[in-house]
Amino acid sequence: MTFHNILIMRHELLLTIVMLLVLIIDLFATGNNRKLIIPIALILFLTVTAIGFLPAQYGQLFGGMYITSGTTILMKNVLNIAVFIILLQSVAWLKLEENKQKLAEYFVLILSTLIGMNFMISSGDFLMLYIGLETATIPLAALAAYTHHQTKSAEAGIKLILSSALSSGIMLYGISMVYGTTGSVSFAEVALQWGNAPLQMLAFLFFFAGMAFKISLVPFHLWTADVYEGAPVNVTSYLSVVSKGSAAFVLMLVLFRVFPSIVEHWQKVLYAIAVLTMTVGNLFALRQQNLKRFLAFSSIAQAGFILLGIIGASPLGMSTVIFFVLAYVFTNLAAFGVISAVSSATGKENMADYNGLYQTNPKLSLLLMLALFSLAGIPPVAGFFGKFFLFASAASKGFYWLVFIAVVNATVSLYYYLLPVKAMFINKNEQPVPTFRSDFYMKAGLLLAAAGTLAVGMLSIGYEYIASFSYGLQ
Amino acid sequence: MMTQGIPLYYFLIISTLMFFIGIFGFLTRRNLITMLMSIELVLNSVNINFVAFNSYLFPHRMQGQFFSLIVIAVAAAEAAVAIAIIINIYRNFRSIETDKVNEMKY
Amino acid sequence: MNNELMFFMLSAVILVFSVLTVTTRKILRAAVYLLFVLVATAGLYFQLNYNFLAAVQLTVYAGGIVVLIIFSILLTSHISERAPIASAARAALAALVTVAGAILTLITVMQFTFRPAGIPPISPNVKNVGRALVSYGTDGYALPFEAISILLLAAMIGAIVVARKESNNQSTK
Repeated sequence: MTFHNILIMRHELLLTIVMLLVLIIDLFATGNNRKLIIPIALILFLTVTAIGFLPAQYGQLFGGMYITSGTTILMKNVLNIAVFIILLQSVAWLKLEENKQKLAEYFVLILSTLIGMNFMISSGDFLMLYIGLETATIPLAALAAYTHHQTKSAEAGIKLILSSALSSGIMLYGISMVYGTTGSVSFAEVALQWGNAPLQMLAFLFFFAGMAFKISLVPFHLWTADVYEGAPVNVTSYLSVVSKGSAAFVLMLVLFRVFPSIVEHWQKVLYAIAVLTMTVGNLFALRQQNLKRFLAFSSIAQAGFILLGIIGASPLGMSTVIFFVLAYVFTNLAAFGVISAVSSATGKENMADYNGLYQTNPKLSLLLMLALFSLAGIPPVAGFFGKFFLFASAASKGFYWLVFIAVVNATVSLYYYLLPVKAMFINKNEQPVPTFRSDFYMKAGLLLAAAGTLAVGMLSIGYEYIASFSYGLQ
Repeated sequence: MMTQGIPLYYFLIISTLMFFIGIFGFLTRRNLITMLMSIELVLNSVNINFVAFNSYLFPHRMQGQFFSLIVIAVAAAEAAVAIAIIINIYRNFRSIETDKVNEMKY
Repeated sequence: MNNELMFFMLSAVILVFSVLTVTTRKILRAAVYLLFVLVATAGLYFQLNYNFLAAVQLTVYAGGIVVLIIFSILLTSHISERAPIASAARAALAALVTVAGAILTLITVMQFTFRPAGIPPISPNVKNVGRALVSYGTDGYALPFEAISILLLAAMIGAIVVARKESNNQSTK
């Protein structure tokens, strides 16, 4: 192993360096200097994001425990962009009096979970997968419980950590049976040995249930709404975009790499779960009043759509999933950005509070409308193409009924995505949210998200680029 | 090996029973700390599996043992964060029973 | 023969105290029962010759986590306090689900014929464990070892952020 080889791990190494730097700067910063941590951390992270796009080497390290390919680098870059936008959007909230004491910790915790997700995506065996998964969840629970004086926040934290600990326990039981039946935890070796004995099926189901918890697929979604509502807005957007996106990537990679021999079995499981997830997510989203809960259930439904890309077990499906997550990142961050701006300015998060928002804050209203249209899949914004490609990839493998159910669900979802739009533009309100100005960071974050939503939609850029990588995978 | 006489299946039976006892505890307990204890049971049962497989079937590599070591380390981290949150909840609610902690409705 | 006797004693301790841990109504007792389970598990590891792992189990699990749990119990509850019990319907449902799951899993496990690799073993002693922990080739565990250090650092920071009292008092309750 030489320095040259170390460069294969540049995403993780750079993030670790940034994390430690922020921690060290925080040690020496006093008084007003503490605020400087924000621009420094943002610039450092932007640099890391930019370096991620430089041409890279592919390969394996540590005896196959760590794997980098074009696909994994692409996934990590998508996550980096998302985290950068979230960091921009959280600045206004971080500057509130109550959070001033723990500025640097926010960055450190976010970065450590991101490192965990990167390790998880690059993992070549179940051991690294497990460590990555836990590194991606445990600090997140602390983030969810970040606001001391709000009881809901602590409640969100404990619900997240207990349900995730249980789910990783279930997943570990599955992995232990994988180990017992094949004699290895390395992906490549397990894939060679994997058969369809009943115990191996059971092991797969345990493993899948654990992963389904993390992506909050129905029926493992019960924690989602409470955690999303209770956590601070920026943490919620991190959970619903970055955490969920990375878990979906990993589920896809593991299914394709480790379990290709039982593909017809896991397709049945995914089929049932996809139908359930889309339908239940939509039905519950219909009756939510709190916007964070609303987006929580909408994100459950979106996770169901992601399964449509995975179920085909094809390289085409893989590139559509990455593309969908990219579109979903920009769209959801635009929506959460608006909610975060309103919430940190006024503390209001209910749909009724948004009545008449267009009168006072027209730009934010237009942006939220754009995001909701994209989530609903109205052309020509990003979300439409994301869904369209997913449906096309599932249809190309012959899952016509599943696509039909998905289209019906997408149509139903149109109704509830238009409810907040109606609230903002049509409903009258005696006391609408007052006009307020966002700071530079928030504007930049919103602008990036909006530009991404439009650009991904209009140009469908990146699809060819993503596809060129994914075809090389199998 | 010192394990002649005891079949591998005995270990698996113990660990499986322990796993489901832990799940049962998680489902029925109404107190956050006892829920955490149930999770420790689940993780511990998984460790027994890994060690038994490693010892009986694949003693030429140490994968199972290292998996157990890592699980123990992660469990410690998990417990630390969970207990920090539980103490924070206690400060806010003066109670750590789930019925009282349930402020949000499903 | 001695070995078998030891094994059955340890497993009896594990099963009995596991059940007690999740059913007793006194929280502090539950923690002590959990301690018995963890120590007996360490006994199993000793029996299989995994001395290092058994030592870790005793120091980290039994010595660290259980002590942490006991501290938090003392901080948050009164000794005399009894844990609330779940409603009978909920307990019955949970029992049904877990018993069915356990039976199904046990049947599936017993059906499967595990095949030993039949390759000469390496001893799981401290020397070999230590060597594997710092080597980075095949069967080296340097990467997980480093990765878990990030997790521990982040968990420590997270726990401090959550649990510490805020220094400016106006925003605390």
